[in-house]
Amino acid sequence: MSEINKELVEKFTTMATAVNATVVELPSREDAYKYVVDLTVSKDPCEMLADEPGTEKGPLGPNRVPTRVQRILSVPQLNDEEFASVEAYAKEKGNILCIREGVRKYGAGLDVGVINAVAGVAASGTCLCPNTDEDVRLSSMLCEISVLLLDKSTIRPDLPSIAGLMRECIGQGPEPSFNALITGPSRTADIECVGAVGVHGPLAMHIILLEA
Amino acid sequence: MQTAPKTYSEYSKEIDEALHDEQLRKTMGAYAVVYRTNRANVMRDIDEKALIKQIADFKDDACAHMEELYQQFKEQAEKRGVHVHRAIDAAEANQIISDIAKAEGVKRIVKSKSMTSEETQLNDKLVADGYIVDETDLGEWIIQLRHEHPSHMVMPAIHLSRFQIAEDFSKVTQVKQDPDIQRLVKVARVQLRRKFLSGDMGITGCNFAIAECGAITTVTNEGNARMVETMPRVHTVLVGLDKLVRRIDDAMIALQILPRNATAQRITSYVTWVCGPTAWKGEPAGQKSMHIVFLDNGRTKTAKDPIFKQVFRCVRCGACTNVCPVFTLIGGHKMGYIYMGAIGLILTYLYHGEDKAKILCQNCVGCESCHNVCSGGIDLPRLNREIRNRLVDDGNGQAMGSLMKVVMTNRKMFHSLLRFASKAQKPFTAGTQFQRHLPMIFLKKHDFKALPAIADKAFRDMFPNITPKVDNPVCRVAIFAGCAQDFIYPEQLVAAVKVMAAKKVAVDFPMDQTCCGLPLGMMGQRKAVQTVARQNVRAFADGNYDYIITLCASCGSTLKKAYADYLENDPDISVSVLKKFQDKVIDFSSFCTDVLDIEASDFVNTHEKVTFHGSCHQCRALKAADKSRELIRDAAEYVPCNEEEVCCGFGGTYSVKFPEISKEIIAKKVKNIQDTNADRIVMDCPGCVLQIKGALEKANSTIKVSHLSELIAENLAK
Repeated sequence: MSEINKELVEKFTTMATAVNATVVELPSREDAYKYVVDLTVSKDPCEMLADEPGTEKGPLGPNRVPTRVQRILSVPQLNDEEFASVEAYAKEKGNILCIREGVRKYGAGLDVGVINAVAGVAASGTCLCPNTDEDVRLSSMLCEISVLLLDKSTIRPDLPSIAGLMRECIGQGPEPSFNALITGPSRTADIECVGAVGVHGPLAMHIILLEA
Repeated sequence: MQTAPKTYSEYSKEIDEALHDEQLRKTMGAYAVVYRTNRANVMRDIDEKALIKQIADFKDDACAHMEELYQQFKEQAEKRGVHVHRAIDAAEANQIISDIAKAEGVKRIVKSKSMTSEETQLNDKLVADGYIVDETDLGEWIIQLRHEHPSHMVMPAIHLSRFQIAEDFSKVTQVKQDPDIQRLVKVARVQLRRKFLSGDMGITGCNFAIAECGAITTVTNEGNARMVETMPRVHTVLVGLDKLVRRIDDAMIALQILPRNATAQRITSYVTWVCGPTAWKGEPAGQKSMHIVFLDNGRTKTAKDPIFKQVFRCVRCGACTNVCPVFTLIGGHKMGYIYMGAIGLILTYLYHGEDKAKILCQNCVGCESCHNVCSGGIDLPRLNREIRNRLVDDGNGQAMGSLMKVVMTNRKMFHSLLRFASKAQKPFTAGTQFQRHLPMIFLKKHDFKALPAIADKAFRDMFPNITPKVDNPVCRVAIFAGCAQDFIYPEQLVAAVKVMAAKKVAVDFPMDQTCCGLPLGMMGQRKAVQTVARQNVRAFADGNYDYIITLCASCGSTLKKAYADYLENDPDISVSVLKKFQDKVIDFSSFCTDVLDIEASDFVNTHEKVTFHGSCHQCRALKAADKSRELIRDAAEYVPCNEEEVCCGFGGTYSVKFPEISKEIIAKKVKNIQDTNADRIVMDCPGCVLQIKGALEKANSTIKVSHLSELIAENLAK
């Protein structure tokens, strides 16, 4: 395992923050799981952007569509043990549904999606996220807040320095693969060149830097 | 349907429309200024020039091995289960995609932004074949609702206001929408989420098709591309053969420049790397179906063209549009057919034909701004001139060009005409430097500036009387005058002679020199340029000069840069003779600072407030603008000017062809100059003096306009 380079961590944090990401440092994965549950509870209710028959609806949100009553936290990459502990903590905190699969069912929108990044790029605050599994991919797309977990030791200086890793993530085939470089939440400047965050993807992004 | 202008008068009407579009002018004007500053900020992190060179190199390599990379890509992609198709032209590509939709049982199609699908006009075909097609990029969706086409490659709806968009969104949602940008973005979020969920097939473009692994990458900010790639069962990619690159590393290099150049971002929010059809969980044990359609449409032919192959270095960042003074005024609807801006003029010729390009390709002022920022270092102005050359070769040239060719390749006839004009204009000049009384019928659209008068006596006729007598000269130079200084502003050269004499430089003026050829080049008269180029090289070949001095940046860049292209493999001028000539050419500012070592102590500083106009060719071709500023600081008090290095709109024959645009560009320049409160503005190009002096005179400004040589001569310590 590589060592943690403090300068790269600082640079990464500055650059990610500059593109509207919230960067937090936590000692362990357990702390990270608590963080995401707390985040799910404290955020505004998720707006339902499309019909979802049979789902309990709350009052209209700021965009004049119904909100979800039950909160949804998607953690598709957790193992059974981790998932059980997240579910238990979530149950303590409120009416939260924790899911690991079937994310497509919540196409109308979910509260928080948590996925792993395998590398960071300090120069731009970018995360490399392998997401061949549709549930992983959708967890970072359909959510209102996207959370990426990143080990500090995996932060590299610039894009060319992760080319080799991208090659590994893409693989030699014949299995297909899907990878993404993600930098901050979804954004646009398509109307009068005025910046706006939260178009088709997440409205906000949190990056949790882990001491590993 | 998009149309391309067929005549100048038709095009002139369209340009007038754009110039009166207040929203377009406001947004584009503001963006041009913000972009320049923000781009400079994000470029500071990286070695811009080195990365641009790397992009040029790997793109050139990909172009030279296009077939090999295509085969490698196909093999890799098929290994992972992709269906790879190849279309010879737009119609075939559209048919293939329509057939895919039919075979896959598709009804609803969601698209993410793809200029290649604009090139093939894919939506028209799919709609005609009965499919429901929704664009999902916010800007693309807006213009789709309005049945329009993109006005900018990266920001397709840049010409529209929030009020217009709120009205469109009110119609589509049947609810009154407020003109609040943040809220409007969320309206699109709600409406388009529903489209993603119900789409049967997603269509994307591709930024880089990576041969080593068969991956396609898409670069987006909104996240719509990955929705389009993920939600529907079928994913179809339309990609030009020019997007093939060899390695993952190549894409990583380009991704450092592309977003910086496009929107002054370090990177976009998302870059996806799709490598084969993944499992699809919309049904039990579901599997995505993935098709990649490679489009030729002239690309394999272009890849073999010794000059135009350079165009494949383009990564579609749109920087050439962002810095173009013409594009900034009239936008992509009027400066392009499908593709727009500098690259658009060239791609229109290559992909859509001579007929669509012949008028459009004239609308380049030649300011070199695009060349200066291009992600692949493409010499866009040169490629554009090459189109004009080929139009002339194919018998599609302009009448004005043919006339100029006849006159200007015969030096004696040309100079006799100019001398005649000097006499014939007398009734119109009232003894001033301007043509004051020309009947308006000749001017009409040229009334924004006072036109200059031909000087009473040309520089070439004065020179024998003012040739300095210098004993033990420090060096021997020859002046290359250029037509404007020789016949309109000889005083600029007289001033230079005075400075050189004071510094003990022996000066000569070879009489056989003639026009540098730039105006002929702008008209596509390649052969005529070659004729005058040969004549000029010969005129200076026998003199034992250390330097050939120009005080016209446009002539300077033509002699020093463009002659290498025009006289490549020339039967009459050898490579060594040409090189010797080009190496000696130097602009007056560089000569003063680098050869004569003129510095502050050489002047009596008058503390006159002097601002500067960085002429296009001086800033971007000769890269000598800082030397001029240094000299101004030494001789007087330098006052910076907003947009100091932006074109003045002259562009030689450009201002004759497109006076309405020239007028708007100089109007901005005049305002910026007046805002400096300077007493004087200087520059290193007589063409710019002509434009700026004429416009300031028309604006009744008291700001003095002169060539830098005049300021130096006046303030030089005796």
